[in-house]
Amino acid sequence: MAGLKIGINRKNIFRKLGIFLMILGPGIITGSVDNDAGGITTYSVAGALYGYGLIWTLIPSFIVLLVIQEMNARMGIVTGKGLADLIRENAGIKITFLIFLGLLFSGIGNTTTEFAGVAGSMEVLGVSKYISVPIVAILVWILVVKGTYKIAERIFLIFSMSLLTYIVSAIMAKPDWGSIGMAIVRPRMQVNTQSMTMIIALVGTTIAPWMQFYMQSTVIEKGLKMKNYKYTLADIVVGCIITVVVAFFIMVACASTLHPNGIVINEAKDAALALKPLAGNIASQVFAFGLFIASIFSATILPLATAFFICEAFGFEAGLDKKWDEAGEFYILYTGILVISAIIILLPHAPLIQISIWSQVINGILLPVVLISMMLLINNKKIMGSYVNGRTTNIIGWSAVIILVGLSAALLILPLISLNNS
Amino acid sequence: MTSLTTFYLSGIIGKEAFDSDGVAIGKIKDLLVSAVPSGQYDPGQQIITGVNLKIGRETNFYSFSPFRVSKAREMINVTCTGLIELSSEEVENGLLLDENILDKQIVDLNGRKLVRVNDVRLATLPAGTFAVAVDVGIEGLLRRIGIATPIKRILSLFKINIPARFILWDDVQAIDFSNLNIKLSKSYAKLHTLHPSDLADILEDLGKKSSTSVFSALDEEKAADVLEELETDAQVHIVESLPVGKVADVLEKMPADEVADILDELEDDKAELLLKEMEAESSQEVRELLEYDDDLVGSIMTTDYLSFSGTKTVEEVLHELRIRKPEPSELYNMFVTEKDEKLAGTFNLRDLVVAEPDKKISAIMKSEPVSLYDDQKTTAIAELVSKYNLLAVPVIDRNEQLQGMVVVDDVVEDLISERRTRKRK
Repeated sequence: MAGLKIGINRKNIFRKLGIFLMILGPGIITGSVDNDAGGITTYSVAGALYGYGLIWTLIPSFIVLLVIQEMNARMGIVTGKGLADLIRENAGIKITFLIFLGLLFSGIGNTTTEFAGVAGSMEVLGVSKYISVPIVAILVWILVVKGTYKIAERIFLIFSMSLLTYIVSAIMAKPDWGSIGMAIVRPRMQVNTQSMTMIIALVGTTIAPWMQFYMQSTVIEKGLKMKNYKYTLADIVVGCIITVVVAFFIMVACASTLHPNGIVINEAKDAALALKPLAGNIASQVFAFGLFIASIFSATILPLATAFFICEAFGFEAGLDKKWDEAGEFYILYTGILVISAIIILLPHAPLIQISIWSQVINGILLPVVLISMMLLINNKKIMGSYVNGRTTNIIGWSAVIILVGLSAALLILPLISLNNS
Repeated sequence: MTSLTTFYLSGIIGKEAFDSDGVAIGKIKDLLVSAVPSGQYDPGQQIITGVNLKIGRETNFYSFSPFRVSKAREMINVTCTGLIELSSEEVENGLLLDENILDKQIVDLNGRKLVRVNDVRLATLPAGTFAVAVDVGIEGLLRRIGIATPIKRILSLFKINIPARFILWDDVQAIDFSNLNIKLSKSYAKLHTLHPSDLADILEDLGKKSSTSVFSALDEEKAADVLEELETDAQVHIVESLPVGKVADVLEKMPADEVADILDELEDDKAELLLKEMEAESSQEVRELLEYDDDLVGSIMTTDYLSFSGTKTVEEVLHELRIRKPEPSELYNMFVTEKDEKLAGTFNLRDLVVAEPDKKISAIMKSEPVSLYDDQKTTAIAELVSKYNLLAVPVIDRNEQLQGMVVVDDVVEDLISERRTRKRK
């Protein structure tokens, strides 16, 4: 029985590896969900419209995203409570109600955008949206409710690696690396309504409010601990890098093919179609496939997460391990969001552009409210003990809040002006 | 004026209190209710004892007994005949309704789960003002947001009622005492009525701070039962956040195989520290079990079993059982061993009860019993248990010496969790 004696030591090596694999998760998952249909659309449109001109926005977005996700992770680890719980318990019911009303509407709006991504990408591959959207909606619903959600998450995570094929798309488009470098180092931009709206949309799609809730609950679900914090931090950094790198290459691909030819696009689908004559059939289909996967991934997680956080805040039972009669509100919300979003897409002449603008407007108003709540919570010694923010994090955090409030105020006002003008 | 006035906490917080001449005294910030339940049914434990009043710029606690709450045309009036300041001790023995209850999670003792409080219903009787129930329904939520009346009016057109959900004050247990200095074990007393596995579920849903404070308020026996039922993550959190001495005391009350499972999840230093703190006898058993790999029978067997010499009589064994008062699972299967601890046979409680008292155990035992080796894979257990319908299987080493037994309870957990992980992950 010599083998038994070394049991403890051998287990330790596996355990260390296990901890590493287990913790590498929340940040990467959140980072991947971040590049959803809305994100891909925004990056494509920005690249086609402004060339390399707006690539620099990814740098401040990266820093803010990093700081925010780090705070979410820290709050989750220290308190073991979801962001919705913490806001309800500390911010009062009226603010909670407003936040979650906004979250519900933006959830429906964003899910609609995901279905638009499904419809668009399948149309590129030659499938009608009246077939693809209902099938995907039903599949997603069954996948989640029948309890295979965890498997689905893993599969999507692997599939979302296909987003990295955007790198291939971008390189096949033979970008001018020199000009890209110059555009990042010395950003030049015209200040007008249109470019400001684009910048706001870029930041808004990279740092969506619902992701903060999602990040924190994923951290809790994994049961992470403060003593393994460096792994968690590594995971967040990797996740943020994935988000920004994919965004970068989508912008580069569209900037180096569509922009010089003056092709204007409105949807991510247009980008896929427009890539065909310029970068070849494969690049176009790779783009469409990436969009399809990203859309389904987010269409799975978004309605589920939104329903979950609303229930958490208002004390309804929630969770896929509960039965229908135990957690009625949860299932009604989840199914409702999914069904309403799918129906909107299938309506003939649905105002998709407006829906996408308005869900970003709601995101824009919501983001600073959620961020201010977060900053107040994380600096509360009663809640965080010795893990309150340090000075650097506070400076970055509050500056981000101020800039975002400014941007959101602009986002709120600018589309109204531009809509009136057009 | 009626002698009974009912009102909601949300309706009184922020109200001005007036003296008998109708002059405003101050604004009501919070109400204090006695937090320490004194007995089974005692109205005294839900009486409002104090009020946090903001007078000018200062807030202070005053006795609530000179205060009266009345309702006229749906408006709440608070009158006060005198201000008596409360001592800090009186304040510390209380629970603040707004600070500790409203919007917080509390335990619904009947539903055995956590609920979130949307409002608190109170009643003023001639004897005083009492907390009657907590409102956890949608109606309370809408009332707090201030849109209950219009929404109700609209829904009544469609003949839809918003269901109100109340839980009686007697049936709830507050969790969040974070800002108060009161004796926790007393204030969590109501939780002792819950089954350990229900308590474990509740602890898992609580935040880290609350779960630690609720757990440390349990007595050692209950704490051991609850710890056993917790998921691994929660076990590790509890064990790491409590003082080593306290954890060691709880671990001693647990079966050695469960302790080994928990220690396996901890860092070696911490595990060693706990083992040293535990009594030598308990820690020795745990150390032996820790030697086994996770997938071997030895890792899930318990060393709490009963074995007797075959020469004893039925009478003697029964007598011994009465003295030792073993755990129910130890009686699933009892063993007969020879001099060198070699397993000779098994018998169960039924065999004992139906046999004549003067019969020898060796005469009633089943010889050549079904058994497992300690270094066999755990996958072998399920087959054996279902094939022979056994509640407990003896475990022997390769020298045929009895080492412990595998109890069906532990196997069931493993089988279900194996299926669940396969399904979910």
